[in-house]
Amino acid sequence: MSRTARLALFAGSGLVLAALLVWGLTGLPAFGDFQGEYGWILNDVAGSERHVTNVVSAIVFDYRGFDTLGEEFILFAAVMAVALLLREARDERERPRDEVRSEAVRAVGLSLVGPTVVLGLFVIAHGYLTPGGGFQGGIPTAAGLLLIYAAGRYRAYRAASPQWLLDAAEGVGVAAIVAVGIAALLAGGLFLENVVDLGTKGTLASSGTIAILNTATGLAVTAAVVLLCHEFIEEVMYPE
Amino acid sequence: MTLVPLVVAVPLLAAAVLAAFGHFAPSRLDNAVAIAVTAAVTVISTVLVFRSSDETIHYWFGGWRPRSGIAIGISFSVDPLVASIAALVGALATAALIVSWDYFAERVPPYFHVLVLVFVGAMVGFVLSSDLFNMFVFFELMSVPAYALTGYRIEQQSALQGAINFAVVNSIGAFMLLTGIGLLYGRTGALNLAQIGQVLSRGPADGLVIVAFTLICAGFLTKAGAIPFHFWLSDAYAVAPAPVCILFAGVMSDLGVHGVGRVYWDAFSGVFARHAAAVTGVFVAVGLATALFGALLAFVQAGLKRMLAFIVISHVGVFLAAIGLLDALGLAGATLLVVADGFAKGAVFCAVASLARRTGHTDELAAHGLGRQLPVTRVLFAVGGVALAVLPPLAILGGHAWLRATFVVTSALTGAAVLRAGARIFLGFGPKRDPLLVAPPRGEEAEVPPTPRAGALLWTPGVLLLAAGLAVAFAPGLAQRAADQAARAVDRPALAAETLHGVPAPPREAGGLSPVRYAYGAAAGLLAVSLAALGLYRRRIPGLVERPLDCLKLLHDGVVGDYVAWLTAGTAVLGVLFAFLLRDGP
Repeated sequence: MSRTARLALFAGSGLVLAALLVWGLTGLPAFGDFQGEYGWILNDVAGSERHVTNVVSAIVFDYRGFDTLGEEFILFAAVMAVALLLREARDERERPRDEVRSEAVRAVGLSLVGPTVVLGLFVIAHGYLTPGGGFQGGIPTAAGLLLIYAAGRYRAYRAASPQWLLDAAEGVGVAAIVAVGIAALLAGGLFLENVVDLGTKGTLASSGTIAILNTATGLAVTAAVVLLCHEFIEEVMYPE
Repeated sequence: MTLVPLVVAVPLLAAAVLAAFGHFAPSRLDNAVAIAVTAAVTVISTVLVFRSSDETIHYWFGGWRPRSGIAIGISFSVDPLVASIAALVGALATAALIVSWDYFAERVPPYFHVLVLVFVGAMVGFVLSSDLFNMFVFFELMSVPAYALTGYRIEQQSALQGAINFAVVNSIGAFMLLTGIGLLYGRTGALNLAQIGQVLSRGPADGLVIVAFTLICAGFLTKAGAIPFHFWLSDAYAVAPAPVCILFAGVMSDLGVHGVGRVYWDAFSGVFARHAAAVTGVFVAVGLATALFGALLAFVQAGLKRMLAFIVISHVGVFLAAIGLLDALGLAGATLLVVADGFAKGAVFCAVASLARRTGHTDELAAHGLGRQLPVTRVLFAVGGVALAVLPPLAILGGHAWLRATFVVTSALTGAAVLRAGARIFLGFGPKRDPLLVAPPRGEEAEVPPTPRAGALLWTPGVLLLAAGLAVAFAPGLAQRAADQAARAVDRPALAAETLHGVPAPPREAGGLSPVRYAYGAAAGLLAVSLAALGLYRRRIPGLVERPLDCLKLLHDGVVGDYVAWLTAGTAVLGVLFAFLLRDGP
């Protein structure tokens, strides 16, 4: 198809599709008029049933925990996919050069590594108490590790995150989520059913399996982001 | 009951463990583990076919059963029809992994097996799920490994291009699907299909319902490869390694149509009840066009993998039309077809893998006469070709005579393409040149270096798959039982009461089946053989056929922008049709 024909086809049908979308959107309830009971029920019961103070985490890791299991594996599969597609010439190429020349950048950057990782771990750990959790906290934790490369030395960054450790962390992180589900079966429950003590609401020792799933998610997300960045750093530094 | 989550959990767990520790394992252990796991999925799914034959199993994850009729958790609904598709996924994956043992010349990185296992778990989850958002999650989860497996041959430009086209077009399809889900949630406040169906059936078929249905259909039909959503499919299947194609062609595409069927019956069949004839009209029309178009393009391919890709498209059309009949017989026939035909397509891909490994070619003209030394592969290819012609008309249990006759012709064309190629390659029949045929682009065809030692591991799985496919198609009484099960699956109010309130749905019986389908099947087989001979020995091509065929060939230019434009156009046309046909009066 010629460029003009393609644009004409896309523009024409895109306009029709946009009109259809607007027609569909006008069928939505007016602002503040949503009638769905699903959210109201979960808001009412999550705190007492699951001993959480962050209802979102109860939805993500329990009521709809099976969706989250799938989503974890989407991220996991994406990491494996990148590793498969960029597998060429790993370890054969020269290491990326360290680009940082300024001592000031180095000092400030490296001094932020510890606080960033601690912030990430904090966000992970309090996922079922306050907004946050494994997904959200995994990113800053990984960012803290990446600062070692961005502000310091590639060699030090790789020493802090060796390949075998990342692979193990990523695999164990997502495996743990399935394992929690299977453990519930062994305990006589349904898959991913809570079978451990719920603890005291509002403390770190609460929410039962949600705490385990949340921590496993934090581990898997941290490892996934570092693994992805590792692949991309090596690829981008030395294009063929 | 406990078995239900395991069909998804076991392959995913194995994938995670292989990713964590696979690098330390001895060579081949990852492949062996993957084979054991997929074999287990097959066995468990088969057990579920029998366990669920008396009543549908509703499995609520986390133990969150509905409260006063409102679903708060996620459920799988397992009946023999969906469980048999899950068993097909397991069996094809086992075959693919056994074939891959001897197929690849190099050491396969462990990521390959990890991704295959995730892919298997995702497809099984997609088939069993009865929660719309959960279906979307598994839809995405089966897409990501598929993109990567398509681009496995990273040294080939065309492999990466095929993977990118696949990823771009399918991601846009996924956006459509997600937008449709969002609209439905805005209206119903529910994600469980049965519950969405309950809420929708109390209201009118207005703009929101119609647009949501359009977007969901567009998303699923992109995965299925119905026209004009199909353009990515032949680019991707042509470059994916043959073992991966066993899974792609055998079942992944068909799952898109399964999605349309499940969502229609569980969520939309109530609100569209007054317009069922119009829905049938649209689905049958798209199905017929897809079947015809795929068959014609399959017949003019010289590259076996592209040929099989268009055969997949053609058969998806048959499958969509069968679902589109919107009755129990249509659903039962569609499921029978998915399973039997899926086995057959997988078997033919095993034969292609065997041929490629032995001769280094998957091009009908380049491999002319080279397959003479492959006795079992030859038989597998020939019987598979006949099966591809016979099975679709055999599985259409209802519908008008003209519809079934059309499918006899399209299926015969697809079988004829395979038989013609087989006669050239394995028997050396016919000329070595044929101006009608499209040769695969350079470099696309030579996938693995040839080796004289092409082991039995390449064709044995194919023989078993083909035997399984024929057994499903011809087992006495199986079609009748499938029809009875389907009668239960299409009774939306009873099924919703069972899902949400625990009221057991009554057993159902479909009407008796007419044996005339065997006549249609036989006719397709005979026609396929004749068309194959015509393809080999005709002198010239009538201009009336040649000109439109050239246009069709030119549309598949590999430019992803074109594909996206077609996807947009297809969705718009579908939406306009539904808007005029399905809207309730003011």
